[in-house]
Amino acid sequence: MRPLSPVLASLANVFRIPISQTPTRPAITRITNEALKSSSPTTAAAISSARTFSTTNALLKRKEANKGNQKITLIRYFLYHPLTPRPLRFSRTRYLRHWTIHRAWNLYQANQRRKNELELQRQWQAMQSACEELRVGAGDGGKLFRKSMIKTGVFKDLFPIEYGRLQTEGPSAEGWNHEWKRS
Amino acid sequence: MAHCERASKPLLQCLQKSYTKGLPGLQLQSTRAFQSTARAREEAQAEAPSVPFHKAPDPSLVSSPRLERRLLRQGISPIGSRRRRVALQGSPNIPFEQLPYQCFQEARKVLLADRDEKVRDITAMSEKIARLQALPTAEAGGEQVKKSKLRAMEIHLEHLKILADSNDPLVKKKFEDGQGDMSKPIYRFLADRKWREYRRKILVQRITQMNVIPDILPHCDPSVDTKLYFGRSQVQPGEFVNSMTSTTPPKMDVQLFEGGERLVTIAVVDPDVPNVETDGFDFKTHFLAVNVPISATSTKVDLAQLSADSQVVLPWLPPVAQKGSPYHRLSLFILEQKDAKPLDFAAVKAKETERDNLLLRTLQARYHLKAIGAHLFRTEWDESMYEVMKQIGYNDADMELRRKKPERLPYKRRNPSTMR
Repeated sequence: MRPLSPVLASLANVFRIPISQTPTRPAITRITNEALKSSSPTTAAAISSARTFSTTNALLKRKEANKGNQKITLIRYFLYHPLTPRPLRFSRTRYLRHWTIHRAWNLYQANQRRKNELELQRQWQAMQSACEELRVGAGDGGKLFRKSMIKTGVFKDLFPIEYGRLQTEGPSAEGWNHEWKRS
Repeated sequence: MAHCERASKPLLQCLQKSYTKGLPGLQLQSTRAFQSTARAREEAQAEAPSVPFHKAPDPSLVSSPRLERRLLRQGISPIGSRRRRVALQGSPNIPFEQLPYQCFQEARKVLLADRDEKVRDITAMSEKIARLQALPTAEAGGEQVKKSKLRAMEIHLEHLKILADSNDPLVKKKFEDGQGDMSKPIYRFLADRKWREYRRKILVQRITQMNVIPDILPHCDPSVDTKLYFGRSQVQPGEFVNSMTSTTPPKMDVQLFEGGERLVTIAVVDPDVPNVETDGFDFKTHFLAVNVPISATSTKVDLAQLSADSQVVLPWLPPVAQKGSPYHRLSLFILEQKDAKPLDFAAVKAKETERDNLLLRTLQARYHLKAIGAHLFRTEWDESMYEVMKQIGYNDADMELRRKKPERLPYKRRNPSTMR
C-alpha cells in the first residue's frame, strides 16, 4: 500500500478516517462490477435463474457483453478518484498574474536562447576568420594553413579528457565520483 | 441587509480593521515605486465621501437590494454579482498593475523592458522607412526593388507593433472583456486570431460543403468577419431563415482586421432558382450595392439604410422558394474594390439592371473585385411563404413543383430462360 502524503494523513486524522484498514485505491474490477450492478439490477436475477438451465458459463458471456470501453472506465476511475487533486482554478486577476509571469518567463528563456546562439555564432565566425587570415595573410601561400588542417593521426596517442563523456552545459548533480577506479 | 452581506460581515469587519491598521503604509510604499499618479488617485478617494453613499450609490460597490433597485430605476445596472460587490467594499482596490506580489512585479519589469526595446525598434524601423521613401528611385535600385523593400519593412513594422503589446495583461483583459479598441493593431490581431480559431472555420466549412464556392465564385478566402442579423436575431452561416423575417433587408456586422478604410461591394445571390424549361437552376441577384465604406472601427452595415442614389444598385428582393423546390442558398459576398477606389455608380446602375442570371463571376471580372468575406443563409417553402409571394407580386405563387416520375424500364424477367 502506498503511504499517504502528510497533508492527507493529517486530514484523515482530523476526520477520523482509518487509513490502515482501507486500501488507498479500491480495485478497478470491483468498481466496474459495482457500476454494472447498479446499472442493471434485473440482469443479475435473470442470470441466476437462467443459470440452472444452462450449461454454458454465463458469467463469461456477461463480461464480454457489458465491459464497455476500458479506456473510458480507466479515465473515469482516475479522474474522479478522491486522491486525485482538484483542478487548478484561479480567479480572474490571479489568472492574469499567472499569465503575466508565464509570458515573462517565456520571454526570458527565449532571450537566453538567443544570446547563447549568437555567442556560438560569434565564436565560430571568429575561428573561421582566424583560419582565413592564416590561409591568406601568412604569406607562405597557405602552407601553414594546409598543414594545420591535416587531421591524420589526431587523437591517436592521447585523447582529450573533455571528450571522454558527453558534453553538458553544467557539472553533474553529484559532482566528482571519488570512488571510481579503473577496473 | 442582503444574505451574503450578513454572512460575510464578521469576516469583512476583521478585514477592514486589518486594512486600516496595516495596509496604508505598505500600499503607499508599493504604489510610489510604480506609478506617479497614485497620490492623486488616493486624494480623490479621500475627498469623495462628502456625499453619503446611500445618496449616490456606486454601481460597482452597491450591495443592498434597496439601493440596487434605486440604481436600476435610474437605468444603471449594478456591476458584477452582489457577492463580488460586497467583497469589493472591503478591499483596498489596488490597480491590477500595482498588486504587491513580488514575482508578478519582477515579471512586469521584464515585460516592460522588452516593450521599451520593441518601441525603440518601432521608431528605428519607421525612420528607416521614411529614409527609404525620401530616397530617389534610381538610387534605391529601381522601382520594383524599392517597392518590395518598402512592403517588407511595413510588414515588419506591423509585426513589431503587435509584439510590443502582446505581453500586456491589461490588453488581454480588455480584449477578453470585449472592450478592445479596434483602431489599435494589437486588438485587431487578437480579434483576427480568435475569429480564425473557430468562426471562420465554420464559415468556410459551410460555404464549401453547400457548394457555394464553386457554384457562385471559383474561390474565396474570407478575411473579414461577417455577421448577419435579421431584425435582432443573428443568423449562423447556412441557417434556414423564415420567409417573413427575410422580407426586410438584413443588417450586417463586417469586422475588418486591417487598418485603413475599404470600399466594398455587397452582393446577395441565389443560385437555386428552378428553371422548368431547361430542367435546371438559374441565378438571381437579390441585392447589389457598391461603394460601401468599411473599416475596423465602423463595422455596422444596414442594407436598408444604404443610400439609394449612390450605393444600392439592386434593392433588396425578399427571397422566395416555390413549394416543392429544393432549398435556396442565399449567399452573401463582400467584394473588395480595387485600390479602395469608388466605382462609377451611374454607370454600374445603368449596366446592371437585370436581376436574373447576373453572374457574380462576370461582375467580379468586370469591376476588378476580390471576394474578402462571405455569408450564407437558406430559405425553403414555409407557412408564410405564400403571403410573401403575394406581397412582392411573384408570378407562380400558386404553382407547386413536382418531380417528374422517371419513365419505367421495360419489364424484364428476373430469371430468364438461360438461367432456368
